[in-house]
Amino acid sequence: MTEQLVGAATAAPPADRDGREAGARRTAQLRRWRRRGLLVLGWLAMLLLWEFGSWWYGSRLLPRPHEVFLKAVEIVESGNFVTDFSASVLKTFAGFAVAAAVGAPVGYLMGRYDYWRAFFHDGVTIAGTIPAIVYAVMSLIVFGLSNLGPILAVALVSAPYIALNVAEGIRGVDRSLVTMSEAFGRTPRQIRREVLIPTIVPFVFAAIRMCFAVAWKVEALTEVFGGRNGVGFQIRTEYQLYDIGAVLAWMFLFIAFMLVIERLVLFRAEARLLAWRPEERGTAL
Amino acid sequence: MSTASQATVDRRRSTSEIERSTPAWRRRLTSDRAARVAALLSFLLVWVLLSLLFRRVPGPVEVVQRLGEEFARGEVFGNFGSTLYRFGIGVALATVVGIAIGVLMGLSSLSRAFFESPVLVALSIPAIIWAFLTVMWFGFGDLSPIVTTFLTSVPFVVVNVAQGVRGVSRDLRDMSSTYHVPVSRQVRDLVLPAVAGYIAAGVRFAIIIGWNGVLLAEWFGGGGGVGYRARWWYDANRFGGFAAWVVLFVGFIVLLDRFVLDRAIRRAFRWRDS
Repeated sequence: MTEQLVGAATAAPPADRDGREAGARRTAQLRRWRRRGLLVLGWLAMLLLWEFGSWWYGSRLLPRPHEVFLKAVEIVESGNFVTDFSASVLKTFAGFAVAAAVGAPVGYLMGRYDYWRAFFHDGVTIAGTIPAIVYAVMSLIVFGLSNLGPILAVALVSAPYIALNVAEGIRGVDRSLVTMSEAFGRTPRQIRREVLIPTIVPFVFAAIRMCFAVAWKVEALTEVFGGRNGVGFQIRTEYQLYDIGAVLAWMFLFIAFMLVIERLVLFRAEARLLAWRPEERGTAL
Repeated sequence: MSTASQATVDRRRSTSEIERSTPAWRRRLTSDRAARVAALLSFLLVWVLLSLLFRRVPGPVEVVQRLGEEFARGEVFGNFGSTLYRFGIGVALATVVGIAIGVLMGLSSLSRAFFESPVLVALSIPAIIWAFLTVMWFGFGDLSPIVTTFLTSVPFVVVNVAQGVRGVSRDLRDMSSTYHVPVSRQVRDLVLPAVAGYIAAGVRFAIIIGWNGVLLAEWFGGGGGVGYRARWWYDANRFGGFAAWVVLFVGFIVLLDRFVLDRAIRRAFRWRDS
């Protein structure tokens, strides 16, 4: 949802004379530079605030930025980064797989039939408002200390999103396409495979992209409560040792990693899967 | 609807014909209310099955019992009150600050550039980190849940409000700046009414996110409250008590969401939908 913040592209107004065009280009460039400067300023302000905070509280309670940075480098060099992050990512995607396997059929039913819509609607909306901590602790109670807990938590959190999005997608299917396929004697199975499923793939992807951040946080949260490996487990360990610097270092790796996955992996995968419908790119985001 | 491999297509029945030919009992069974009742019953069934399958999962009967005990002990209202107090202050602060920053970000592209990265970072920081940090900074009082709630929910308000403000008619804004309408009046008469719906939606989102923050901070920084009490039961290995608190709390959230926030949002968007 941060994409909307980005991209205030300043288009140069059409000019009939060279001089005006050059002037417009110059102002556009100036604006772009100012924008870039302010972006940098935003980062600087965050750093300054942090520096000020660590001066105020003392660097034991809030370590200084460069200390945290060194800690993060240490973590990456020690190799814990790779093992723990890959463990967490695997669990997150396993949870997504479960959520899609459960949520997509539910969403399909909700979008296709009024009865199932009434049946699932309350449950799905309520499931979307339950705080993540409830899911985290519930999965721990069910599975105890194991890798299944985080997977269940991720699945529980993301299934309602996927169901709602798929239902939305199914309802958006071109009715006339379905009617036409029926008129030409296509079987229901063919209609499902050739009309419905291709329409809902973008919606499933939008749902996954939308709730990846949420799911990733819930996964870490569940590991904090009772994991045996993964990012959350490391954060909990450092918290219990009262090592705030290490907690912050893990958090920054966590955020960086999340942004990278969101921007690079999911975005690319979506672009690839949807390459056959270029005009839909804008709306699917 | 199967028309496959037939020379002539069946005559389709109109919806009213189909309606008339379905018997009354069937119509009642497939009504919306019946579907809701069926959903509730199957939820209970799944719960009972789960509690039979996993020994650690408490069944509905046990949870209701524990809930009654908790009421009898007088633990409910005090803890609920202190959680609501912390949560209320945190969300109120987040709303005020979020609206201020969001309006700024929506109005000028330069301030958007400035706040863009802080908001992005704030959106991605998990609530658990804020809970840990605030507990370590402020100790076990009211302050750490309040600050956690505020920090976790403020970026969501900002994003929603900024999006709403950007949607305000550009022409009207240009016109008011051409006629030198003071900024305070622009905000009051043009921007705020147009973004009321986005504000409401942002606050609703902030509330959903904020519950998580307040519960986490209470869980780890136990100074009373719902999160503290739930943890108490969890640590005692009596999951029935934990589940009782979950039922109580989730019930409260759902009622609040359905009867207060949903109505407020519909009211705020009334001008658009009509």
